[in-house]
Amino acid sequence: MALNDEGQTNYVTLVSSDGFEFKILRSAACIAPTIKNMLNPATGWQEARENRCIFKDINGIVLEKICEYLYYNEKYENCKDIPDLDIPPELCLELVMAADYLQGMASRRRLAKELVLSAMQFDRLTRFLNTLDLTC
Amino acid sequence: MSNRRARNNGANRGTGGIRGPHSALTDFLAANNISAAQIRDSYLQRVQQAEQQGGQEGDEAAPDNGEGSSNQVPTAEEQEAEENAVAEAVERSRKRKRNQEDAIAKVKKGKQDKKKAAAKKKRDSDDEDLDEDYDDALGNMYKKSKPLPGQLENCEICSKRFTVTPYSKTGPEGGLVCTPCGKELAKESKATEKANKPAVRKTRRKLESNRLDGIATHGAKSLQQLCIEKIVQHHQDVEEFGELPDSIINRLCEIFSKKRVLTPQTLKLFLRADLKTVAIHECAYLECEDYEHIFAFVPHIEKLALRNCCQFKDRCVEYMLEKAPRLKHIQLYAANLVTNDVWIKTFSVLGKQLETLKLEWLDAAFDDDAVAAMVGYCPNMSRLKFKRCRQLGIAAIDAIAHLTNLQHLSLQISQEVAGERIVNLIGNVGANLQTLSLERFLDAGDDVLDAIHDQCRSLSKLRFTENDYATDAAFAALFTGWANPPLCFIDVNSNRDIDNGNPEGPEEVIGLGDAGFVAMMEHSGSKLHTLDIASCRHISFATFSTVFDGKKKYPCLEELNVSFCTTVDTIVVAGIFKSCPKLKKLVAFSCFGIEDIIVPAGIVLIGVPKAQDAIEQFGEWGVDVNMALGKMVHVVA
Repeated sequence: MALNDEGQTNYVTLVSSDGFEFKILRSAACIAPTIKNMLNPATGWQEARENRCIFKDINGIVLEKICEYLYYNEKYENCKDIPDLDIPPELCLELVMAADYLQGMASRRRLAKELVLSAMQFDRLTRFLNTLDLTC
Repeated sequence: MSNRRARNNGANRGTGGIRGPHSALTDFLAANNISAAQIRDSYLQRVQQAEQQGGQEGDEAAPDNGEGSSNQVPTAEEQEAEENAVAEAVERSRKRKRNQEDAIAKVKKGKQDKKKAAAKKKRDSDDEDLDEDYDDALGNMYKKSKPLPGQLENCEICSKRFTVTPYSKTGPEGGLVCTPCGKELAKESKATEKANKPAVRKTRRKLESNRLDGIATHGAKSLQQLCIEKIVQHHQDVEEFGELPDSIINRLCEIFSKKRVLTPQTLKLFLRADLKTVAIHECAYLECEDYEHIFAFVPHIEKLALRNCCQFKDRCVEYMLEKAPRLKHIQLYAANLVTNDVWIKTFSVLGKQLETLKLEWLDAAFDDDAVAAMVGYCPNMSRLKFKRCRQLGIAAIDAIAHLTNLQHLSLQISQEVAGERIVNLIGNVGANLQTLSLERFLDAGDDVLDAIHDQCRSLSKLRFTENDYATDAAFAALFTGWANPPLCFIDVNSNRDIDNGNPEGPEEVIGLGDAGFVAMMEHSGSKLHTLDIASCRHISFATFSTVFDGKKKYPCLEELNVSFCTTVDTIVVAGIFKSCPKLKKLVAFSCFGIEDIIVPAGIVLIGVPKAQDAIEQFGEWGVDVNMALGKMVHVVA
């Protein structure tokens, strides 16, 4: 299997309670903080060694939707005017619990990225202001 | 005939004079004295005529007008008089056309039937070909002769006869449709258009809304948010939430309230026997019975928060006292139907266990006596908030001064309260206060700020607003050498002198000015999270640029409101962005000096019209900043 720079597989396997397996990109899977932790090699957990996460409380239908969401989130990262992901009403309650378990999905990673961006902008503004001081 | 047909469809037909058996249709047409040759001839003739007529008479209806018809009679007769030969042809063609149309209708019907029963039918292939061939010829002919306005035509959809007008719509297969069907079509197309359009408009609307809410949105929403929105959409179909965590239940409740779908039916979703908190943020649809349900379903309730609970009556309070023995925290907004006596009874029953009371928007009841009773019965009160309670006055303030366990105090009293009553209050309860909010105490002067400086040692949140009496010097004194640790929330909006005759203000600055602002940021800048200095218009440009010089850092500041501080301009805002690395929201209404600012990602700038485009931008920041630098230099120069 192809490995990335850190010697990890590009794809990981998510397994639902009823035995369905979803192979998805590691980058997408790690959007969910819980999955990211499970797959963190530093922990040495079984999940990290085998690149395989088993969710005993999430069934196949819900996990499929979660995978869909993870790709959706990755696709639209840094976009605006994004169409909402279509969620079947009957899945909502199960999905919201799963999302809670997976820790709100994504919002953290997004924040971190924004902060980095803005820090770089601050640098530029700093330089700009310094030039102003000189000229004034 | 076959020749002609061969010519017509030469490409796929090479039958010459040899013909297979006649189809039922051909037989039928022959029996009715209809032949394709004739039809074709008359068709060509009519086309020619129509062209001539069109050239000569413009709008005049074509002479081959199907059914002679009542509305077209004069025209037809005129033409007959003019051209006899043509008229004969017309006469013939009328009859033919009538028959022909019947035939077409039958053919079409036959075709449909045929399609349905296609599997069952076994036909001679040649025969079928012929049939289709004939059909095609008819169809082509039919298409070419698009009836002109004024003619009669069969509707493509409902097959009814109707008079063609210039407004007749074209059906899905190219034929004309009658007016009712045309309207239906228009409706459908509108509906599809609508289905496509609002997506754009909604996001635009949503974007504005999010901006004013201070939520800068980049990337996808969280899955939880998506689910919750969907649940609210389908609130009528939800039977119960099951084992959802409390945080999500609370979030759902908030959104139900916001969308105004919190009705007696949906209320039940939020009531569970194991809950300790019930917070309903919009109770306008709830009535007495619904409030009683809350206490019946949630017997262990400790915290109750109801906003806009207009129907919360004496009866509900008495039920509450009976069924909810562990109640500690009460927050009621607009509960105007609860009388004074019942308030007093509430305090006497709950007594020492009551820790929180937050009341707002009370006009009809809850007076000084009720407050006195509360102070008497509930010594453990730690959190108190009275806003817009019209009947409260000085006596209430003096009574509250006896609650020495208070940690959070928010007051907004409509009646006039002299400064020394406040000083007395702070002198008694100030030492333990973590939150102090004094809104619109017009007569509170320097002595109140002095009292806060002297008494308060554990404040983290301070609000002192809408005052035109306290001086800048007093603000400076408050924050200079204050033994209180740095505050994380300061709201001092609208502390300024109001005198239209003297817009610059008196010589001794009233309200938060230069000295006060500098001292405030010196004292609290390290921990400050939220700062509101709206309308403190005596803070000068020089002060702003020294406080936000880009070198001093305010590491926790996330929300800043500098509206109506007219000296704030582009340079100051750039400095603010630089000095506040965690800034999320900057409100700057009416700061006209701000121009062509580039808003860094993750920050929302509200109230600067020219910056609206900038608020939305993110990504590609390198280019934008370079462009912005050019612009900003230009502005400054």
